[in-house]
Amino acid sequence: MRWKTVSAIFFMVVLYLIIGATVFRALEQPHESSQKLAILAEKLDFLAMHACVNSSELEDLVKQVVSAVRAGVNPTGNAFNQTSLWDISSSFFFAGTVITTIGFGNISPHTEGGRIFCIIYALLGIPLFGFLLAGVGDQLGTIFGKGIAKVEKMIVWKVSQTKIRVISTLIFILFGCLIFVALPVVIFKHIEGWSTLESIYFVVITLTTIGFGDFVAGEKAGGSDNPEFLNYYKPVVWFWILVGLAYFAAVLSMIGDWFRVISKKTKEEVGEFRAHAAEWTANVSAEFKETRRRLSVDIHDKFQRAASIKRRLSSELGINQEMTPGKRSLSTTLCEDREAYPNLTLSLSPVTGSLARNGSLYLNGLSPDYADRREFAINESLN
Amino acid sequence: MHFVGRSWLLLTGFILFYVIYLLFGALVFSSIERPMEDRMRTELEVLKQEFLNLSCVSDAALERFLLKVLAANKYGVSVLRNASTTSNWDLASSMFFANTLVTTVGYGHTTPLSDTGKSFSILYALIGVPFTMLVLTACVQRIMFPLVLAPVGLLQRSGLEPRPATIVHFLLLLILVVMCFFVAPAAVFSTVELSWSFLDGIYFCFISLCTIGLGDFVPGTQPNQQYRSLYQVAVMVYLFVGLMVMFLLLRTFHKMADLHGLTTFLQLPRCEESDLEEDREPMVEVGHKDLTEKEATKPLEPGSQPSYNTMNTG
Repeated sequence: MRWKTVSAIFFMVVLYLIIGATVFRALEQPHESSQKLAILAEKLDFLAMHACVNSSELEDLVKQVVSAVRAGVNPTGNAFNQTSLWDISSSFFFAGTVITTIGFGNISPHTEGGRIFCIIYALLGIPLFGFLLAGVGDQLGTIFGKGIAKVEKMIVWKVSQTKIRVISTLIFILFGCLIFVALPVVIFKHIEGWSTLESIYFVVITLTTIGFGDFVAGEKAGGSDNPEFLNYYKPVVWFWILVGLAYFAAVLSMIGDWFRVISKKTKEEVGEFRAHAAEWTANVSAEFKETRRRLSVDIHDKFQRAASIKRRLSSELGINQEMTPGKRSLSTTLCEDREAYPNLTLSLSPVTGSLARNGSLYLNGLSPDYADRREFAINESLN
Repeated sequence: MHFVGRSWLLLTGFILFYVIYLLFGALVFSSIERPMEDRMRTELEVLKQEFLNLSCVSDAALERFLLKVLAANKYGVSVLRNASTTSNWDLASSMFFANTLVTTVGYGHTTPLSDTGKSFSILYALIGVPFTMLVLTACVQRIMFPLVLAPVGLLQRSGLEPRPATIVHFLLLLILVVMCFFVAPAAVFSTVELSWSFLDGIYFCFISLCTIGLGDFVPGTQPNQQYRSLYQVAVMVYLFVGLMVMFLLLRTFHKMADLHGLTTFLQLPRCEESDLEEDREPMVEVGHKDLTEKEATKPLEPGSQPSYNTMNTG
């Protein structure tokens, strides 16, 4: 891609970001302000109701609680019947979120050793996951391609290749959406108790690997319901993430391929057009050069002939007025030349008008009219 | 048949290895983090009890209050005194949020609260993520030439064989990237952000540039941050350029693996060679036309097109 295209696209991205920023601000700031007011009101209420607590003590407690929550410790409820955030299945889930680069953030390492290990782990794990995803996406694509081929064989009537491709892509997207988006949405709604929008939001944010972490599957269900069901809920969620990611990656790469094919095709067409234009220009200029060359040779020949005639005429007329046989032959040659003259003037006028104006022939006095007049005079004298 | 069998075998091998890797990670994380978590939990219990003992607050009232505070805090709304002036959704912060959405980093320190905000985020992400990936790959294609192909050519001309030349170049590039995009920014962050250590800075850089984005460290969110907008814009630029450089590294590594025959051995997608030649030839030769027509009529196999290219391996 050329620099101009790249910078144009870059400016489009910046513009897209600015538009997004303004829309988000317009949507979210009012909400934020109302939330702030609500929580401040709560705080004041609390302080008013419990007069023995002063503001700074409360703030200290809140600070501690908040940092504890960020470490994953839930201060509400008793400490006894809580599941740890770092038991095996949750750690497995966390490792999965690191490697898939989703990175929810509801759990994150807090020790120095944990962080260093996280870095090294991700360095090795992300490419590994990339390979895995490439492989799974490949298999998905092959399976789907085979299905499409079978369907193509079943279709009896003649349909163009592009139509088949478009239809197959649509089927792929619909089918994939059904399995990887619609079904999980229903499941999450039922198990996690989220609204439809929140479930769709979670599915999209997870499968594009953005992973905010405000909604995480399996977070709430911990501690309250039967833990055995939880033990294989989380691995199922992880498996869904893997295959869903492969699906999303396949869809995105398909879109990217289309862009590439379209840009290649347009580049091709532009290239072909340019090639044709260049060819046409080359032909025309070659013809032009050829014509000019022929013309200049022509003019040169005629000029030579005219000069020789002039010499002969001037020598003849300069001596006496008698008509010798040589003169008769001269008049006949003049006649021939007169036929040649119209061609000369015609060819002289449009293209090489400048040559005529420089007028080597006319300056010599040998204009066609003049030659005609002389010829008449000679013929009269002959008769 | 043998080929097909081999590819399935490789795939199951990969999956198995991946699961083992995850289990291993789980064990290590668990053993490192769990003691700290337990300690923190007991500390918090003690704190709560002290608070309750000293004051007239009942357990239930405190629980209710804490729940509300935590719910608000999840969305970035803090109840602390000096945090009430700065908003999380002013223009620079919203742009920062849009950037984390579109580059798939997704810190989560601020998330949309309203339903409309959530729906808009979905649409915005679905369009913005492929678009950004396209832009990043386009930029990487352009800078491949001066940063990779030209130096490798130079190394080759100064006598090295192709394979060692690519290795040497890759190592040099890696060192350069680590210095410029990890060590230097980490130093800057650890001075600007008061509570971050140098290791925290490097951890943040790594987690962000790999687009994991856990969100435990986010620059510019301290309540009394000076020049907050400028700082956030600078971080955005750093993230974008860093991401591009990461893609470049991955692509270089991919090409190197191609050259050494690793990708064909593991039956992974090869790097696309054709894009680079297209850049330098403005006109398409006659032969190309047939080739692209053939490509266009292949059955649609989305996975078989090179790589998980939008996300990771480039």
